[in-house]
Amino acid sequence: MTLTPVRVLRAAVSVVVALSLSCGRQPSRAVVVVSKNFTEQAILGELLAQRIERAAHLPVERRFYLAGTYICHQALLAGHADVYVEYTGTALTAVLKEPPVTGSEAVFERVRAEYARRWGLAVLPSLGFNNSFAVVVRGADARRFNLSTLSGAAARAPLWRLGVGFEFMERPDGYSGMVKAYGLSFRELPRVMDLGLLYRALQERQVDLVVGNSTDGLINALDLVALDDDRHYFPPYDAVPVVRQEALAEFPGLREALEGLGGHISAADMRRMNFAVDGEHRDSAEVVREYLQAHNL
Amino acid sequence: MTAERSDSAIAIRGVSYHLPGGCALVDSLSLEIPARLTLVLLGRSGSGKTTTLKLMNRLLDPTAGELFVEGRPAKDWDPIRLRRHMGYAIQDVGLFPHYTVERNIGLLPEVEGWPAIRARERVRELMALVGLDASLASRYPSELSGGQRQRVGVARALALDPPILLMDEPFGALDPLTRAELQGEFYRLQKRLGKTVVLVTHDLREALLLGARIALLESGRLAGLYTPDEFLRTSDALAVAYRQAFGAGSGPSHPPHGPALGGAQ
Amino acid sequence: MNLLDYLIAHPHEVLALSIEHISLAGFSVGIAFLVGLPLGVAIARRPALARAVLGVVNSIHVVPSLALFGFLFAVPWIGDRAPRMAVLALSLYTLLPILRNVCAGILGVDPAVVEAGRGLGLTEGQLLRRVELPLALGVIIAGIRVAVVLAIGITTIAAAIGAGGLGELIFRGLAMVNDSLIFAGALPAAILALLADSSLGWLEGRLRKRV
Repeated sequence: MTLTPVRVLRAAVSVVVALSLSCGRQPSRAVVVVSKNFTEQAILGELLAQRIERAAHLPVERRFYLAGTYICHQALLAGHADVYVEYTGTALTAVLKEPPVTGSEAVFERVRAEYARRWGLAVLPSLGFNNSFAVVVRGADARRFNLSTLSGAAARAPLWRLGVGFEFMERPDGYSGMVKAYGLSFRELPRVMDLGLLYRALQERQVDLVVGNSTDGLINALDLVALDDDRHYFPPYDAVPVVRQEALAEFPGLREALEGLGGHISAADMRRMNFAVDGEHRDSAEVVREYLQAHNL
Repeated sequence: MTAERSDSAIAIRGVSYHLPGGCALVDSLSLEIPARLTLVLLGRSGSGKTTTLKLMNRLLDPTAGELFVEGRPAKDWDPIRLRRHMGYAIQDVGLFPHYTVERNIGLLPEVEGWPAIRARERVRELMALVGLDASLASRYPSELSGGQRQRVGVARALALDPPILLMDEPFGALDPLTRAELQGEFYRLQKRLGKTVVLVTHDLREALLLGARIALLESGRLAGLYTPDEFLRTSDALAVAYRQAFGAGSGPSHPPHGPALGGAQ
Repeated sequence: MNLLDYLIAHPHEVLALSIEHISLAGFSVGIAFLVGLPLGVAIARRPALARAVLGVVNSIHVVPSLALFGFLFAVPWIGDRAPRMAVLALSLYTLLPILRNVCAGILGVDPAVVEAGRGLGLTEGQLLRRVELPLALGVIIAGIRVAVVLAIGITTIAAAIGAGGLGELIFRGLAMVNDSLIFAGALPAAILALLADSSLGWLEGRLRKRV
């Protein structure tokens, strides 16, 4: 049997999905916390995990770096995971596939209602910060062309190359919508790669703008500038824990532990933690432990 | 120091060839090969005859002793020029399977830079010489019989008209009828061309038929050097053993008979 | 949107990525061939060296391709650009089948032919060019065939580090759990591999028959 790429790929995909969704659970269950595949998500996952361990004294199983939003969502639906941190704008446009709405509150309410109605998932109050998509350029370019907004950068677009992650290319609140909203005409299709590689590519001049996250730790550290979304294309992306109703019922103290984090984490805090891991290469578990102790959580 | 007997084409002086393990395939061999005659290296398998042949065109270099070719030390010759100064024909023939007969024979002239016309003429000439029909020129070796292949091998060896011809059991792989036919033709050819021929064989009959001199080898050493008549009469033990093994009684030392041979020469 | 709809809606993208894919794979096999041919010839004559070199090249295959891409980040100049990393990694992987087959092809030539050629007075270079390589060509093409199919397959993984190619569609599809997108990448890649395999197989057959 020849190893054609399709066959190998199918096998690989099955393995990847199976591993990331696998149960392998013992009867006396731990709370399964998952996260998406970038640094901030891994930190938030660790935050939830340690908070649950400390405040609710429950065993926790961690499965981080799942391949993306949809994988995490499906894990919850299938019962293979109990909780992860989602962003309200993502939940609205990418998961619920509804048109974007403005206003933090409105978005949160809509998401909370629909998640409960469609899937029996509880959306708990925001952790305290908004992590929007941020279009980031090199500091030198921002200064040279006097750029501070995304519409300002539209003039440079024909000469520049954009770098994005795999998910951004495909999401309704992603590439195609942004290009339309700002009238961007790039000289070629964007360079698509793993999120962790975007800033490197920007520095190496393989690309000239990247779509990262507003709370990324490396933005300041690498002399990069996040452009303002002046046409308000992106919806708000408040960080909220999404958790299965059944898990809340099954685990005493889980709800209190998660709600107790609400409103406590500022964008500055998140940025600092992101930088500690991405920029200073510190261990995320340690960074989270420090943070929780410092804030008495 | 270098002036040697002028009619000695190849001179072997105390030559040995040792394998890396120490075993000697040729052991202190000394032999003079006279020009324009056929000298047969006769011996059993493992007697060192093929090794000796390969020492002559420097496919192997001796571990002791010296060889001289046409008066000059073999090691002073450029190996490529030395080999092109000699023809080389082996039992398996080794025709280039991806070349036609014509190209096989014409390869050395081509490599020597002969003009195409001259090379083609030469090929035609050689094919006639070895008794190959001209129509075979565009055939590939896989389409030829064993006998035809061997003829191409000889033609190829003669392409540059070398004065010396080295042959390693060239007729060994042929059926008896074809073998006899080719031996006869070769004898005739040799009389006509007058080359110095060194022929390796283990077949006494062939040695008696074709050789003007017979060098009998055993265990890498020269056991004796004879003319065919001398070989048939000597009481040296090894020669006797050979005679008996081949049931040789009245083997004449001279030309073969047989219909394929028409005389004139 | 099913696969067909996607292909109809985004023909330029699939085409552009296919061309990128072919370039990465083709360029890498080209480099592997330029290195592998002379190297294979050199080691064919020296069995001890052959064992050592083949051993080293073989050990590259032990490293999972994604890991190799990751290691190359640290290499100066190479690690700065995804296509460079991809081409280097792919060249390393495809070196083995080519090297092995060049070596085997040359060693597989009838020894009588080689002996006759050498004994008649062909230089080593003439022997190689006129006799050994032409006779080894069928086996060498077989090695290139394996290398090309291998390269097309591994190139899909190169998209993970941003080198582009059809793997990009596959990864985008994985992120969205979107089968159509996955197949939009996997199917052309498979077709490319099949085309390469059959055309090189035909060529190999033609060359082997001649001898």
